[in-house]
Amino acid sequence: MSMLRTVKPKNARVKRALEKREPQLIENEKTAIFVRGQNTSQRVRDCMKDLYALKRPLAINFSHKNDVHPFDDTSSLEFFARKNDASLLITGLHSKKRPHDLVLTRMFDGRVLDMLELGVEGFRAMSDVPSVKSSLGARPLIVFHSDLFDTHPSYQLLKSFFLDIYNGHSLSELPLTSIEHVISITASPLPSSITTTSEAASQNPALIHFRVYTIKLSSSGTKIPEMQLTEMGPSIDFTIRRTKEAEDEMMKMALKRPKIDKKDVESGLGKKRKNIETDEMGDKVGRIHLDKQDLSKLQSRKMKGLKKSRG
Amino acid sequence: MAQTIEGQLSNGPPAVLPRDTVEVDAGLLAAFDNSPVEPEAYSSNLPSHLLDLTLTSTHHLISTLFQLPTTSTASGLMVQLPAAKTLLPREKPLPKPKPLTKWERFAKEKGISHKQRDRMVFDDERQEWVKRWGRGGKNKEVEEQWIHEVKAGEDPDHDPAASAKKARKERVAKNEAQHKANLAHATAPTSTRSISAQNSENRSKRKVELERSMLLTKTSTASLGKFDKKIEGEPKTKGVKRKFEPNVGEDWEGEKGRAMDVLKGLDGKKKREGKGEGEINVRKAVRFHTREERIKGGSSAGSKSVKGKRRS
Repeated sequence: MSMLRTVKPKNARVKRALEKREPQLIENEKTAIFVRGQNTSQRVRDCMKDLYALKRPLAINFSHKNDVHPFDDTSSLEFFARKNDASLLITGLHSKKRPHDLVLTRMFDGRVLDMLELGVEGFRAMSDVPSVKSSLGARPLIVFHSDLFDTHPSYQLLKSFFLDIYNGHSLSELPLTSIEHVISITASPLPSSITTTSEAASQNPALIHFRVYTIKLSSSGTKIPEMQLTEMGPSIDFTIRRTKEAEDEMMKMALKRPKIDKKDVESGLGKKRKNIETDEMGDKVGRIHLDKQDLSKLQSRKMKGLKKSRG
Repeated sequence: MAQTIEGQLSNGPPAVLPRDTVEVDAGLLAAFDNSPVEPEAYSSNLPSHLLDLTLTSTHHLISTLFQLPTTSTASGLMVQLPAAKTLLPREKPLPKPKPLTKWERFAKEKGISHKQRDRMVFDDERQEWVKRWGRGGKNKEVEEQWIHEVKAGEDPDHDPAASAKKARKERVAKNEAQHKANLAHATAPTSTRSISAQNSENRSKRKVELERSMLLTKTSTASLGKFDKKIEGEPKTKGVKRKFEPNVGEDWEGEKGRAMDVLKGLDGKKKREGKGEGEINVRKAVRFHTREERIKGGSSAGSKSVKGKRRS
């Protein structure tokens, strides 16, 4: 943290940029950073590439290796997050003890809020599936299946993480034609050997199946259209490894919601939009007021005789 | 692998549909199927089972989305999404409220508002401007109206006009009392000193403290600060000057008295000055006396202007 100097704005552009980074009443969408650790496997790299493709354009991919160990030292993650004004970090690692490791980290106020470590057990890349892909920046639908996402703390954390990464920003309106794909996350049933809930809580036995399907909607004659799903990829099978839950105090701060009147939101939160309109074409039209032109300063033909006398 | 998995769901026959456990959070475009995954179907054919589950939950989600109110804009049909049900953590804390400016702080302290209360108010029913108070004023609206609604179960002797008038009179009386209290508070001598006076006192206190600690640190070296660097404005070390009595004095009484004092101290019963029984605390007596004098003088010179009077 200390490595980042505090910038005092010297001009209006820098000031505006810094103001954008300050805490906002209505927050912007969270940006995710994809970082590779010192050792990674091909599978983890491919997996990160596809998760990145799904998160784009609000994602930053670090092309170099970084010596990060999220569960041991979070300082470099916090540095990356602050520097890039991002609050989600996806770290890829690989070791003998934890092969094909993926660590999801969430930030609040420049500090680590919570962490979730996933093992990539099975992976099929997006490019391996010959189908039409969703367009860049299209908002996915997201569905979760299993009671574990409602009861088991680690799985609740996973649900919260994936919601936050792909659908965290709540929208006020959505064009119906923009629905293109759905992310489906399913937890496998618990093995029959595990019967008690405490046993299930101590381990994280159920596999997570991460699937993405494209949606094709066609009119059915009623209000609700007919729907066709086609696998788009990637399809990833995760296991949950280590987790770091958020501190209660910090989570409480993070879950605080501002009190805003709906009227204020509609009128742009007190920001006046003066002289800016959107026309029928959807173009932004601004009206500017100019002073009357000073014709005495108009440059006409240059002649020696018309030259201003000095002094 | 070149195979893709496809599933289709037409709206007509809901073969895989009847799962009522799907919860939809339209604000986040999310759906949660909270029923346990069936082990048999799961282990028999995983891809198709996952697809079935997704088809069901997505269908619920889509049907919810398509039933929401829409607006048509230039960029197509827009669905108005409700607020998200699932709470997700914020990225940064809530912005702190802007600190008040000096004027705003002052105005708040003094209760100054920019708006002056108008004497006239607009009456919506009459569609004209009426007086806030006075003859035919807005505050007499209820008591002066020619007909009153009597609520069911009300006392037949109850007079709505009179009670409204009484309520108004009470409001006026309360305001009067508050006004009087304000005036009394304003004219009363301020018990607490002004902020600037307090500040200067704190400052001098702090100065004394600082000097004291500086002197203490000076004595902490072996040479008792003799070779320390001098700082500008440094306090002068003031030791206790020793006083020597002459070896041979004129009166022996003084020496005797001092010796006796030491002996008395050893006894442990040394009497303090002016605190013994029957002795008069002269300082206190003088204080009482002067106060009495002042009160007498004040009553005799009652015609004097109050302005010139000084309080001590």
